Amino acid sequence: MKKSVENWTIQSKQPLFELGLKDLFNYRYLIYSMVRRDITALYKQTILGPMWLLVQPVTTTFLFTFVFGSIAGLPSDGVPRPLFYLSGIITWNYFTECLNRTSTVFKDNAVLFGKVYFPRLTVPISIVISLLARLSIQLVLLCVYIFIYYLHGYHLHFFGAILLIPVVILLAALQGMGIGLTISALTIKYRDLSILLGFALQLLMYATPIIYPLSAAPDHIKWLISSNPMTAVIETFRFALFGTGNLDWPMFLQSALTSVLLLITGLFAFQRAEKNFIDHI
Amino acid sequence: MYFTGEIRTGTLSRDFERWLAKIRGKEDPYLTIDRSNSRVHYPTDPVFWALKDINFEINQGDVIGLVGENGAGKSTLLKILSRITQPTSGYITGNGRIISLLEIGSGFHPDLTGRQNIYLNGGMLGMRKTEISDQFDDILQFANMEQFIDTPVKRYSSGMYTRLAFSIACHLYSDIIIIDEILAVGDSAFQQSCLEKLKSLSEHEGKTIIMVSHNLENLKKICSREIQLSKGRILC
Repeated sequence: MKKSVENWTIQSKQPLFELGLKDLFNYRYLIYSMVRRDITALYKQTILGPMWLLVQPVTTTFLFTFVFGSIAGLPSDGVPRPLFYLSGIITWNYFTECLNRTSTVFKDNAVLFGKVYFPRLTVPISIVISLLARLSIQLVLLCVYIFIYYLHGYHLHFFGAILLIPVVILLAALQGMGIGLTISALTIKYRDLSILLGFALQLLMYATPIIYPLSAAPDHIKWLISSNPMTAVIETFRFALFGTGNLDWPMFLQSALTSVLLLITGLFAFQRAEKNFIDHI
Repeated sequence: MYFTGEIRTGTLSRDFERWLAKIRGKEDPYLTIDRSNSRVHYPTDPVFWALKDINFEINQGDVIGLVGENGAGKSTLLKILSRITQPTSGYITGNGRIISLLEIGSGFHPDLTGRQNIYLNGGMLGMRKTEISDQFDDILQFANMEQFIDTPVKRYSSGMYTRLAFSIACHLYSDIIIIDEILAVGDSAFQQSCLEKLKSLSEHEGKTIIMVSHNLENLKKICSREIQLSKGRILC
């Protein structure tokens, strides 16, 4: 057994901003284990298993196509409607899942955090990564949809912009995690915000071009929708896949900048909160 | 320091007053040190010190037994030592890696098997996969549960939980082991082997052990020193 010389101090005063990246790196195996746990334990004792991941987007797409497409007749930028909705739904879901799950980190893990010490940030990071695994299964579903349309004569145009897809997903993750971490810190003491959250996300969905393309938004509120950082994520995602609309670089960069700011805010709030949240929750 | 209200001091207006005082650089209006120290005279005081004026040193290889009545501050002390919560004031310096076992099976995921949980738990204690694999057989042997290692831990009895958790904590690489009253669950044969194991860890491997127990007989057998706490202070 190897011996270490690790000196440590526990004290009441703390530096204003201390991320502990080195600590996180030392705990990388834990992150890996938690990702594996999340993926394997989620569908234990279910018959369909991970097939459940496909049920939600498929039915929602079907419903959206019927309600917003056939009844309301909303435009879809020339993309076949199921493809248009499905691409929006899975990206949006990834964002909201990241946000929701990280926002309840302290509440969900109160018992564990009260008994074992490890860098708390490992939990939100592993959540975002394990959700990524679920997203990739849904992306395969999207590819199947696209392929089916291709067989029926839908003209595909893949080009360089497809390389933007990982960036776009990263932005969605950063935004979801950033907002989620901030909320997790703010809801330790007063839980009002978590009640508002579900409702706010529902409303935010309508301020994001999921059921309509940005090009169909009225001019006088277009700026508002464009300032939503998720708008650039979804628009760029669709641009990369279907080549519709055009890539709005200023909007994209603004969204990237907002994502980074959201993440920094979230990390700051989280590391302030983790020190002794256990006494306040 | 704890606040006895449901949400800290209890109400939003009190929280707001404290915050106002803080940004104006004044004393916390609900924190008067000499008052909050005597619990008897001001039962309605919203501030409560779980520990006060605690000073002690522990040397490598010591086995420390923490004793005291309920609410004496034993668990709070262990929580601060294991970095679960931060002290309101004061500091602790130390050297070496800490493993703390504050509750049986904390960190076990009920749906995962014993084997998967050993790896998950080891990860939480800061181990890498190879480090855990090296110790895996010893963990299994000491816990004596080869038969059930691939069963989800939610089907385990509470004794099996304790055995596995204790075995993980003893075998993973650490310098300081913190144990909070967990041995009460196992049967007496297992308790004896735990005590022997702890003793040999401190004697042969130079590990430092800090444990809480209400079983004074057991403590006397292995502890090199006792620290007695009462109402947040050290008695001896």
